[in-house]
Amino acid sequence: MSDQKRVTRREFVRDFAVVTGAAAVGVGLSKEALAEVQVIKEIPKAGVVVHDPSLCRGCKICEVACSASHDGECSSYLSRIHIKPNDLDLVFSGLVCSQCESPSCYFACPKKDQALCIDKETGARYINQDECLGCGQCIEACPLPEAPIWLKTVKGREVAFKCDLCRGRAAGPICVELCPRKALTFEERRD
Amino acid sequence: MAKTYGWAGKILRVDLTKGTVKTEDTAKYVPEYIGGKGVATRIAWNELKPGVKAYDPENLLMFMTGPFAGTLAPTGGRGIVCAVSPRSYPIEWFTYSGMGGHWTAELKYAGFDGVVVKGNSRKPVYLWINDGKAEIKDAEKLWGLGTFATQTKLKAEQGDQTQVICIGPGGENKVLYATVQHKLSNAAGNAGFGAVMGAKKLKAIAIRGTGGVKVANPAQFISACKEVADLISAGPTFNPIGGPPGPGSLPCSHGCPLGCTSMRKGDPAGLEVGSGTRNMMKHCVDPMYTWGWDRTEYPTKFIKKEYTGDIFTRPTKGFGDDIGSELQTIGEGLGISGWNYVNNYVWVSACVDNGIAELNGHKLEPDKPDFWRDLLYKIAYREGIGDILADDLIRACERLNMPEKIKKIALWSEPMWGFGTHRIGRGAESQPSPIWIYTMCHWITDSRDPLQSHHQSSFVEYWFPPHHGAGSPDTDFKKLKATYARVFGTGEVMEPGFGHIKEKTEAAAYLGDRANLKDSLLVCDWCFPRLLSGFMSKDELTAATDYYGDLDAETKMFVPLTGLNMSTADLEKAGERVRNLDRALHVRNYDRTREMDSTAEWVFEYPEKSDGSKLDKAMFNKIVDYFYEARGWDKKTGWPTRAKLEKLGLKDVADELAGIGRLP
Repeated sequence: MSDQKRVTRREFVRDFAVVTGAAAVGVGLSKEALAEVQVIKEIPKAGVVVHDPSLCRGCKICEVACSASHDGECSSYLSRIHIKPNDLDLVFSGLVCSQCESPSCYFACPKKDQALCIDKETGARYINQDECLGCGQCIEACPLPEAPIWLKTVKGREVAFKCDLCRGRAAGPICVELCPRKALTFEERRD
Repeated sequence: MAKTYGWAGKILRVDLTKGTVKTEDTAKYVPEYIGGKGVATRIAWNELKPGVKAYDPENLLMFMTGPFAGTLAPTGGRGIVCAVSPRSYPIEWFTYSGMGGHWTAELKYAGFDGVVVKGNSRKPVYLWINDGKAEIKDAEKLWGLGTFATQTKLKAEQGDQTQVICIGPGGENKVLYATVQHKLSNAAGNAGFGAVMGAKKLKAIAIRGTGGVKVANPAQFISACKEVADLISAGPTFNPIGGPPGPGSLPCSHGCPLGCTSMRKGDPAGLEVGSGTRNMMKHCVDPMYTWGWDRTEYPTKFIKKEYTGDIFTRPTKGFGDDIGSELQTIGEGLGISGWNYVNNYVWVSACVDNGIAELNGHKLEPDKPDFWRDLLYKIAYREGIGDILADDLIRACERLNMPEKIKKIALWSEPMWGFGTHRIGRGAESQPSPIWIYTMCHWITDSRDPLQSHHQSSFVEYWFPPHHGAGSPDTDFKKLKATYARVFGTGEVMEPGFGHIKEKTEAAAYLGDRANLKDSLLVCDWCFPRLLSGFMSKDELTAATDYYGDLDAETKMFVPLTGLNMSTADLEKAGERVRNLDRALHVRNYDRTREMDSTAEWVFEYPEKSDGSKLDKAMFNKIVDYFYEARGWDKKTGWPTRAKLEKLGLKDVADELAGIGRLP
């Protein structure tokens, strides 16, 4: 099945599920699609880190905080949030996972719930790097113009990196906490 | 180095004469010399022979970061450039020049703590540093471009995340105050190291790194960095009452939570910065073009009776935000230091006021923007009068055989080591007593304007009672003295006048050691050492029992980053080591003596602007006696003693100085 057709079908199924609830029987959906409808409804929604380019000034504290907190190393490369400065025009755009309600990356992952997982408490769409194959399907599936998921080589293996809302960190996303200009905010999940 | 925390572990060694690139282990130099200025000074001691001049291939041009660069340490993205300067006067000697930005972090991520460039290339080249490797590449197509265009081209070639430091026509044509430029406004300016790059035909250094800085104890490091970010959250210490950075501000460097530079909307046409209306990063130098600087009050109020000649006849013309920013941006694109505008203005206007209407066929109209639009290009390309001014004022006077009055103005503008006045307390800036005693001790013993690296000796001025446009109506001088008493044993170190010279000079020596530590770690000079805290409101300031910040801030971050169990005393000792090694280098290479330190004693015989205090030769010598004693330097010669050098682990340095008869 082509990617395009797959996305279209997913969107249909998702929209259908939202509109009609569980009443998908008799509409001619396959067993797969029905299962998927069910899964989408059961996936907890997540909050999301939001970057405001009008306040960001490219200090990169978010990047080094993220990488230090997750990987014990201060590194732009390892960060799960990326700030892209246009230094001469002083425009700072930021790229961080949108924590989609219907996470295409999750559905695309061949090791769904082992590699790309949903945190039951926070809803964070996160990657268990030990299980990640580095296949890049999550990146391909991401509907954003530029995917905030990156394949990076760590200890000789290529694995995917994305924002996990600092799951396991009591105070929540460290980038939000340390941004000196409140250019990063955490929006609570919309239930 | 196997597993390095903090430091990347390698220093790049480039030879542009031979066209080779090698590496050496940073471990040769750290932790004893920390990084930054410390490592550069040790390399200079080891390898820079007496007699090497700025443009000689043997000049070591060193771009250094420290362990904090690329990390969460607030303001850790500062860097430093060290080399023999073409601008220092009368001797071209080894000095330093701070420079911030993001190249520092990128260099660490590429696997290097610093880059040492020796040799001169025959053809224009740039250095491409990328993840552990470095290549010398052809730069014929870049030569001649302004600094913005150079960066744009290199990013197009090597990727838009590439960080570039480069020279413009100013450096290519060896203007003595040519900058090493980075992004819009980061620059190493005053020491003219852009000209050294020009002499080496090194157009740029382009850096891309996907590595990281390993942290020994991440949880503790993050916690310490948060604490230090809170500590400095009110901003630089020239504001007793500060606040969070506003949307119209920018941090100058990687990892800085503050916003000390202002953004200006503008579209300086023809500067190849880009197109359309954009924001431009501005900073402390820009105000020189926009607001100007007024020193005219000084001769009229303070010294008219004692000095028959006028010295500063006009306030420096400020051209307002738009034109001022445009002129500053022209200078940045050309790669020449903006600080020189002030002195050039004063000098040119003095010429006019003394009947010199033109020089080398160039009409002098310093109050007209077009004069500067034209002159900045003439300086950068060494055309006509620009060629003369490109050599800075004292040499310009020599070349043109100017009258004594004009020479005196040049000397007043650049009274020591060929560098422009900066917080010297006479002329434009106030530095009330006893602060100017501190800054005097730094000025007379350093190799350049030291205040860009010793602001924490001087910013306390803003906590004093109001005086001459500075000071604060909200601070309590008793609490300020109590703060200094906490650190130095007595609050008399901040008492105006010439009492307690012993304690004051000891405090000055301590702050000098901390400045050298700061330039090695590196962190920001406007914020560290954080003797003074900042406050977010007047209520907070009033409620505080004293104003003490935290002199252990750097240590708290250094230890969990590097995994080295060093104390603040250990780090301060490292700062003292760097200061003394620098002194030893100047003694060995340049015959630095007390006599040389004393050459500008005349400056301090003039009254200080804010309170009229001044000294005579006897008091000057008393202060120098005490300062040398505080430093452990011989009173007669100004040379470091063996005892002092050995205490700092510099026995080899003492032995070498003894061998040439320069150890007391």
